[in-house]
Amino acid sequence: MSDRRLYVDYLARMEGDGAMDIVIGENGEIKKAAWEVWEPPRFFEAFLIGRKVEEAPELVQRICGICPHAHHISSLRAMERAMGVKVSEQTRLLRELMHYSDWIMSHALHIYCLAAPDFVGYESVVAMAGNPDLLPIVGKALGAKRLGNDMIVAICGHEIQNRTSVLGGYTAVPSKATLQALKDRLKASKEFGYETAKLAAQLANAEPYKSLERKAEYVSLYDPKRYPINEGKLYSNDGFEAPDEEYPIWILEKHVPNCNCKHATLKGKGNLVVGPLMRVNNNFGTLSADARKIAAEVGFSVPCFKPFMSIVARALELVHAIDSAIELIDVLGEPKLEPIKYEYKAGESYAVTEAARGICCHGGRVDKNGVIQKYDLIAPTARNIASLEDDFRAFVPKLVNLPDDDLKLKCEMMIRNYDPCQSCATHSIKVNLHREK
Amino acid sequence: MTDRAEKPRLAVFKFTSCSGCQLPFLNMETEILDLAESIEVAYFAMAGASQPGPYDLAFVEGGISCQEDARRIRKVREESRILVAIGNCAVYGGPQALRNFLPLEELKRAVYPQPELIHCFPTCQGIADYVSVDGFLNGCPVDHGHLQDYIVSVMLGKAPEVSTRSVCLECKMKENVCLIVAEGVACMGVLTGSGCGALCPSFDRGCYGCFGPSADPNLKSFANLCRELGLTEEEIHRKFRYIVNNAEAFREEAERHVPQPVES
Ligand code: SF4
Ligand code: SF4
Repeated sequence: MSDRRLYVDYLARMEGDGAMDIVIGENGEIKKAAWEVWEPPRFFEAFLIGRKVEEAPELVQRICGICPHAHHISSLRAMERAMGVKVSEQTRLLRELMHYSDWIMSHALHIYCLAAPDFVGYESVVAMAGNPDLLPIVGKALGAKRLGNDMIVAICGHEIQNRTSVLGGYTAVPSKATLQALKDRLKASKEFGYETAKLAAQLANAEPYKSLERKAEYVSLYDPKRYPINEGKLYSNDGFEAPDEEYPIWILEKHVPNCNCKHATLKGKGNLVVGPLMRVNNNFGTLSADARKIAAEVGFSVPCFKPFMSIVARALELVHAIDSAIELIDVLGEPKLEPIKYEYKAGESYAVTEAARGICCHGGRVDKNGVIQKYDLIAPTARNIASLEDDFRAFVPKLVNLPDDDLKLKCEMMIRNYDPCQSCATHSIKVNLHREK
Repeated sequence: MTDRAEKPRLAVFKFTSCSGCQLPFLNMETEILDLAESIEVAYFAMAGASQPGPYDLAFVEGGISCQEDARRIRKVREESRILVAIGNCAVYGGPQALRNFLPLEELKRAVYPQPELIHCFPTCQGIADYVSVDGFLNGCPVDHGHLQDYIVSVMLGKAPEVSTRSVCLECKMKENVCLIVAEGVACMGVLTGSGCGALCPSFDRGCYGCFGPSADPNLKSFANLCRELGLTEEEIHRKFRYIVNNAEAFREEAERHVPQPVES
């Protein structure tokens, strides 16, 4: 028996380090499909014990440089809920605007810098920009990403993390003039959002992508009235529903050898998937009117269980995020500096937000002096690993006739569909493809 | 440079970290297309570049916390002419160095259902504990402007400027109202290295030292100030054992303020 083995040292264009190991048997069957994450553990859950409650949101925004705001806001909400702290409506709106800014930045980055080069066959976005036909759209994408960044700076005071948002509220708020200037730029970027959705649909509607379908447990937050980003209940396409503070009961983590990242499953159900495609499936009705209109134009409808369509879902969310940000700026008007007041109180609670790449869960127990007694967190990537392996098992047999290089690329794309960010799930990647003949 | 006629080869590596210090490179979107004219981005996993060395200028994000990190940083050192540590993680070990003060077995048990599967060092350290380093850029995360200035200096063959000032000075230059005087906040700007432009104090928030200690921090007088402001020893301890916890000056000062167990 001779073996055919493919090996990629790490998966380019992902945040972090990991490895993918695939063994294909003689008859094209998958004998092994595993994603191994070897980034060393950072032990946040352990050293947060004994810290003061306001230090947790500050420390956890350093779990992941790609979605610091999701970690930060989940932690804020959980700690506030544990102590019965109510924040103002303005704070809730600012947090939402802060998180949508992050989505705009992250989705523009993912679609153009991480995913599109795969579909059109370039090594990187810089290589893609070398094509005069693609340069204009790449330029616009970088502009949109910059807009997301500038919004983050305006609200958070810092390009990457936040320096203004604390437990109970904000220590500084953006001026009306700043927000209005951003609103003008957001309006100007709507056209780009539309073009992006068209491009994404065109890319994902090619073979083999459009035929690869696998029904799975699609989990996201859900709110019947408002597209969920910072708040909502846990929900799945297959009838699961629970308050978000109950995530520790429902989302179970298991630890597998060769992987420093814990894999998550849904209690009583099994593997789950999270991310833009899952959110859009579960919440299509509350996407902005224009996002829904564009979806119809590009022929996207739900339910959609095609993982390669996640680039389209991301584009629709980009449109939605732009619309929501404009609306939020209108509602916020002239933000006022509000006093931050709260008292320490013993309690325990948990909260979930939607990071650009899926639900992000934080929580724990606080004593009467505001000292953390227990802390728990599940980053988005951890949620998808088991399902990702299901994708390999389902799709690799259909692609088994492709030459090694192409098959390897397709496997990498399956991973990138989920935009995994391993810095938070612990974290770089290599692909091992092993064919037995 | 390896060859006068060739573009300098830039590399960005990640070790134990959050990737936040690599983002400023991705955020140079307008500059990056220009930069591509004069620089070759040879290795930067997040941007899809993975050319083998040698490299002229390598930026390293992340601390060293396991055997694989230690092996890889030695290889990166061998392959790089100028090696620069960027951010709290690469310079000092990062926020996760908070684990250095707890026993490894306890940490593993607290986080992993099967602790025996986890292999890592008992500590996370800055890269200079393992290899020689040519430059240090502080911050958690590193400052975008500092990175750009560093790249430009190297390209012009100049020695990059290193500031020895404090956040406090930057704050005064911005004519901010002093938080210590006006609000009695134990702001760490007085002993934190400059570079952020006194961000937090400008947002009415005390500096928590994310750029690490300034050149000659007056720790004793700050500890006295904290006491005058009514902080307990435990609170002073936590100030130095926070985002930047493994810089020598902060680490040792934390040890001088032993926390008393709080009853709950
Ligand atoms: S120094 Fe701070 S921002 Fe940079 S990688 Fe480390 S934790 Fe992230
Ligand atoms: S003020 Fe202090 S904590 Fe805030 S960004 Fe600057 S150095 Fe970091």
